[in-house]
Amino acid sequence: MIEVTDLVYEYPTVRALNGVSLRVAPQTITALVGPNGAGKTTLLRCLAALDMPYSGQVTVDGLDTAVSPREIHARLGYLPDFYGLYDELSVRRCLTYAARAHGLTADKVAAAVDTAAARVGLSDRLETPAGELSRGLRQRLAIGQTIVHEPRVLLLDEPAAGLDPQARRDLSALLVSLKDAGMTLVVSSHILAELEDYCSEMIIIEGGRIAGGKAVKVRDVERPRYILEIATARSDLRDFLSARAGIDVIEVDEHHALFTFTRNPQQRSKLIRDLVTAGFEVSSFGESTRALEDTYFAQVGKQ
Amino acid sequence: MNAEFQRNVWIELTPRRLILMVVLLTLAFFASAIAGGSEYDLASTARLLFYAIVVVWGSRNAALAVVGEIRDRTWDMQLLSSITPGAMTWGKLFGSTVYNWFGGAICLAVLEVQRATHGGIATALIDLVYFVAVGVISQAAAFLASLIAVRRRQSHSRLDIFVYQTIGLVAGVAVYTIWGLVDPANALLLHKTADDAVIWWGRAIDRRGFLLLSLAIFTAWTLLGCYREMRLELKMKNGTLVWLLWLVFIGIYVAGFDVWLSTDKTVAGWDAGSLRLALAGATFTVLTYLMVFLEPKDRVHFRWLGSQISSGRVGAFLGGLQAWMMSYIAAIVCTGVLLYWLHQSRPDLVDQLALIGAASGFLTRDVLIFVFMRSLPGRRRGDFAALGILFALYVLAPAIINGLGLQNLLMLFYPYPTSPVWMGPVVAWAEGIAMATLAFGQIALSRKPTTA
Repeated sequence: MIEVTDLVYEYPTVRALNGVSLRVAPQTITALVGPNGAGKTTLLRCLAALDMPYSGQVTVDGLDTAVSPREIHARLGYLPDFYGLYDELSVRRCLTYAARAHGLTADKVAAAVDTAAARVGLSDRLETPAGELSRGLRQRLAIGQTIVHEPRVLLLDEPAAGLDPQARRDLSALLVSLKDAGMTLVVSSHILAELEDYCSEMIIIEGGRIAGGKAVKVRDVERPRYILEIATARSDLRDFLSARAGIDVIEVDEHHALFTFTRNPQQRSKLIRDLVTAGFEVSSFGESTRALEDTYFAQVGKQ
Repeated sequence: MNAEFQRNVWIELTPRRLILMVVLLTLAFFASAIAGGSEYDLASTARLLFYAIVVVWGSRNAALAVVGEIRDRTWDMQLLSSITPGAMTWGKLFGSTVYNWFGGAICLAVLEVQRATHGGIATALIDLVYFVAVGVISQAAAFLASLIAVRRRQSHSRLDIFVYQTIGLVAGVAVYTIWGLVDPANALLLHKTADDAVIWWGRAIDRRGFLLLSLAIFTAWTLLGCYREMRLELKMKNGTLVWLLWLVFIGIYVAGFDVWLSTDKTVAGWDAGSLRLALAGATFTVLTYLMVFLEPKDRVHFRWLGSQISSGRVGAFLGGLQAWMMSYIAAIVCTGVLLYWLHQSRPDLVDQLALIGAASGFLTRDVLIFVFMRSLPGRRRGDFAALGILFALYVLAPAIINGLGLQNLLMLFYPYPTSPVWMGPVVAWAEGIAMATLAFGQIALSRKPTTA
């Protein structure tokens, strides 16, 4: 859905992106992570055809941003990290304007507005002026404006910034539902925990380059990551795990192991049984809930 | 309805604001009628209020149409819309000023009743055309100036907006003046005697028709300029052809007024061709200064141009030229042709040849001062700093030099007769080359290969 080749972007005194190449598959949620100033926002703006690269090529849905920027604008939604709303307009008018501005015909606008409002949970506030909404609700309205025309690609820059825990959970659910509806999402953040719930791929950007050279898979439905902890140190833990079929060890020391393994309950049960039989004092075994963070630091550590 | 226009209508024409405008204008007219006691005073009040609401305030709102969106962080959403550049242009130009036009329409209604009663329907209609034209042109000029400048992305201050508004007001005054010359009743410029004909390219042309046609053509160019700047904002490419056509048009248009200079002593003895070249060159020079001030001077773009030309992509290089660059090239080429022409026809005018040569050198220096000041790290307001330097070079330093009785040194600052005559242009071009070295060095210096 998105292909970037040798992208270079320069600001007057700094090269923000230096030969970035990446590929984003359709109907995925990709996390774009990296420290502050790494070039995340610049990359997102290049993907959105809002900033033109110094050199290199960006294609979205088969269209080159340098050749067909307006066609790309029509196909995507982009929520910048700092955005504004028309405070004087009601939620309904904000969404109506966004729908009409994206070329929806008059007969489809009302339905699109209702759908977008329902998706972001603003159906009961359609007549409320945007200026009277709380920060979380403003964020929802901004996302509603971004998705009202059912874009094929959705780019979100720090979408959970400033949201309370409940709002973050709602946002996660919304993004997953949008992916399930067929959209391709790229979500930027420097807070890994908030991406954990919904991202399947991760692009780490650091110093204007992609760490590791490509997107990395962080969530595999069939083969999740597991964390194993044992009470007594055993130097042969790595050998034991590596010798077993179906296990890919990511990290291991004498007390812990992080590895991928099948989701099949019988096989997991057998693995635990074998560990105990082999004398490993298993104190904890479970699916890793920090897959993204583990991957991030594993990649960054390689640099 | 155009989505952008409708959004503006929703924001601008709320019932409360409409009532407020009607009440305030009614009170103003009532006060005027009581104080003055005649319908002419009422018409004067209506005219004054129209200028205040539509021209002065409307120019400001037009200047804010896009700048306000950038400032309020709503512009990205609009850029990502499907609204065409044409629809966005008129949606913003007339949408941002729709409240002004509402107030202006009330003023016009009062004016038109007075004009129709005393001058007839035809006079009232002509007046209507004038007032609509002065409003549209002033607002469009302010809008155009703001669109050109917003590409710099540092043009949101009150001072910036005041500059764009002022450009709109200047355009409004130009319309007012032109209309005064063609107004059959001389109602707008009292005591002014209008000639029947204007001499253009040596031909006598009906003044009224010429000026009205000129007004229409310049309005069309202004609106075309707004449309093309909007295309750039919406990330579409423009190419250089239209600006080149504009240069050709404005050069030919201004060159036709050579008769105005025929009695000027400083160009005594010049033939019509030389005068026309001088007028065209002066026009290109003014455009160069205006555009180099307004347009972004982005080091990355300069480097990109350099990379295109060094890799032999001449087409891409030419397509990436900015308006100020093309205007500068046109000014230099025109000056070169003028020098050759004058040298062939009047080789005795060597002093004037030297002054013209020096002028082109100082133009080069001044343009590069803008480029240099914008290339310095952290010079977000480098354009105003460059203006300050030019003020020092053309006003302050010469005043000090004059005060010290060192007139021979004036050639360092602006075209000034020298002995020997070649020294003036040599010094001017040496300054130009020195500035070029500084500016290009700064552009190259500021490049860093990796992020901070």
